[in-house]
Amino acid sequence: MNLAVLVLSGLVAASVFSSLLSFRIGAPLLLVFLGVGLAAGAEGLGLGPMDGRMVYLLGSAALAVVLFDSGFHTPVKAFRLAAAPALSLATVGVVLTAAVVAVPAHLLLGLDWPHAGLLGSILASTDAAAVFFLLRVGGITVRDRTRSLLEVESGCNDPVAIFLTMALAAILAGQPHTGWALAGDLARQFLYGGLGGLAGGMVIVQAVNRLGIERSLLPILALALALMLFSAVGLLGGSGFLAVYIAGLVAGNARLSAPQTLKRFQDGISWLAQIGMFVSLGLLARPSEFGAVALPAMGVAVVLTLVARPLAVFLALLPFRITANETFFVSWVGLRGAVSILMAILPMILGVAGGSVYFNVAFLVVVASLAVQGWTIGPVARWMGQIVPRRTGPVERVDLELPGAHHALVAYRIVPDSLVARGHRLPRWAMPSLVVRDGGSMLAHIAGPLVAGDMVWLFARPDRVGHLDHLFARPAEAAEADRRFFGDFPIEPTVSMGQLALSYGLPVNEDGLDRTVADYLADRFGGRPGIGDRVLLGDIELIVRALDEAGGVAEVGFAAEPTRLDAPRLAMFEPGERLKAWVSRLGG
Amino acid sequence: MDIVDLITPGAVIANLRATSKKQALSDLAKRAGEITALHERAILDVLLERERLGTTGVGNGIAIPHGKLNSLDRLYGLFARLERPINFDSIDEQPVDLIFLLLAPESAGADHLKALARVSRLLRDKSVCEKLRGTDNADALYALLTESQASRAA
Repeated sequence: MNLAVLVLSGLVAASVFSSLLSFRIGAPLLLVFLGVGLAAGAEGLGLGPMDGRMVYLLGSAALAVVLFDSGFHTPVKAFRLAAAPALSLATVGVVLTAAVVAVPAHLLLGLDWPHAGLLGSILASTDAAAVFFLLRVGGITVRDRTRSLLEVESGCNDPVAIFLTMALAAILAGQPHTGWALAGDLARQFLYGGLGGLAGGMVIVQAVNRLGIERSLLPILALALALMLFSAVGLLGGSGFLAVYIAGLVAGNARLSAPQTLKRFQDGISWLAQIGMFVSLGLLARPSEFGAVALPAMGVAVVLTLVARPLAVFLALLPFRITANETFFVSWVGLRGAVSILMAILPMILGVAGGSVYFNVAFLVVVASLAVQGWTIGPVARWMGQIVPRRTGPVERVDLELPGAHHALVAYRIVPDSLVARGHRLPRWAMPSLVVRDGGSMLAHIAGPLVAGDMVWLFARPDRVGHLDHLFARPAEAAEADRRFFGDFPIEPTVSMGQLALSYGLPVNEDGLDRTVADYLADRFGGRPGIGDRVLLGDIELIVRALDEAGGVAEVGFAAEPTRLDAPRLAMFEPGERLKAWVSRLGG
Repeated sequence: MDIVDLITPGAVIANLRATSKKQALSDLAKRAGEITALHERAILDVLLERERLGTTGVGNGIAIPHGKLNSLDRLYGLFARLERPINFDSIDEQPVDLIFLLLAPESAGADHLKALARVSRLLRDKSVCEKLRGTDNADALYALLTESQASRAA
């Protein structure tokens, strides 16, 4: 008993400590967790008397926790921004990827086509955990549209890949089936998963807000309800994974009574779930068996990364207005992760012939994917013009949630050179109440102007707090690359396109002249502009510099020469632009 | 488009004394009026009109006010180094001490933009700005403005 606890906690602690190492050498952290599992596993320290069934069970639950958390942290705005292309990636993209990956599986591993298809579907989904992790923790800010697309895709494609894998594995294990039953099953998975997720999310919101439960129990309640939803929907024949993701989306975007408490707990538990998932998958692996499949597995990884994923992404995104650079970046960030290894356990459990081959190949492909793509995500994002430069320095901010109130209490430390320290006014909706100065505290209206070193406590709506940061931050040095990203001059968003066109001789259509620059830009991006979105007008570019609280364009940049930031970096994605133009001409 | 084609040694002011954005613009308009033989009021109006579209204070202490005038025969540039930094409603809210003024004929659509891009690129260069700030002699400033470009072209 004590020994088991010691081993378990020791593994978690070792994983956490290894994160230090990971940040220092920049190795993908998830890979390190996998390594900890391997070191402790059957052929390492021999700590893992793990059997496949248990790992599969625990792994699925952990994945449910991660998906709930990723839904919870996805703003509904991002979801709307990316829903259609992400769904295309999650369905068409997954099936295409599986089909293409089946080819090297057939040729290199000698699997017959159905079994090769099984391996393809095992490797077909991108890993939500890995993608979220890299995009959030990587220390880079990826442009809204791309980030939303990747996040929503990785949240939605697991159910599809899981369904595909389960269906194929069941068929290959000799369970009876018919085509129609399968199609009905797929529809049921999505229908029940979607509806169950919506209902479950609302139940969670009501339970958290209405029942008056002790605050520290709230996140546990939310988590327990999410896991109950996961299993209940699964028992009914729906996709529990889809259900928890949607429930997370609903709960995370509702007005909850203790958002910070929930978020912090979610963060922690999601980390724990990931560590658990990767470490236990590492425990299950037998590296001595890897040698036999290492070469074909690398072949599969290469085809997956360089052929299957790019082709699938390219075709799945064809109907949408997505630039060549965005398409390339999305296809590069198709990380494989725990889901694939988890799915690879299924053939073993279900007794598909040669079951361990899938696990070993999937394991190696995931390691290769995490290593290569995980390590290169930053440089590739930069190369493809997908990184939003930081415009402000760090801020010292403390957030306190106020139960029942629609305002949060926020504290900022005033740093020298920040706008506030230089006498800039706070917006009217920010209500300063207390100033802590020289160890004493006083009411804000008595304290007068804020000076460096003060700590100010103010009330503001939680969704607006982020808009205060730039007032309290040290201004970030605008580097050359940032100017390129944001343009030479600022343009007032309320100026009409007519005035601008007149001043610079821009080619703007008659009907566009009366609109404000902000509306013009928003319209050009389907009403959902993202920071860094740009429109080429003759020889200049108009650039979205910042968004307001409602998601409208709040700041506009003007580049006197084309920045060519969105110009395709790789010619191979360009024919698509022409094809798209052709298709849209047919349609219009 | 080269800086040499925009600016003459006579259009460089080494120590402009101004206390406000309005005053700086109006002093520059006056000087531009002398160079272009246009009415200074007309120039100032065009500059102020442009500022209404958004500030030309592009950050890091730099401002590039500009505008188009009907009666100009070619592009004109003026450079001023301010004795004391002034508030210019800049994008980074930092005071401005280097101003490059650009005036273009109404017809010069593409050239106007090319010149703007050229000036903007020149003044993005931190080392150039540092040298400009450290020089209080008009001829030396003129040399800095035009030379950096020769070295870049090479």
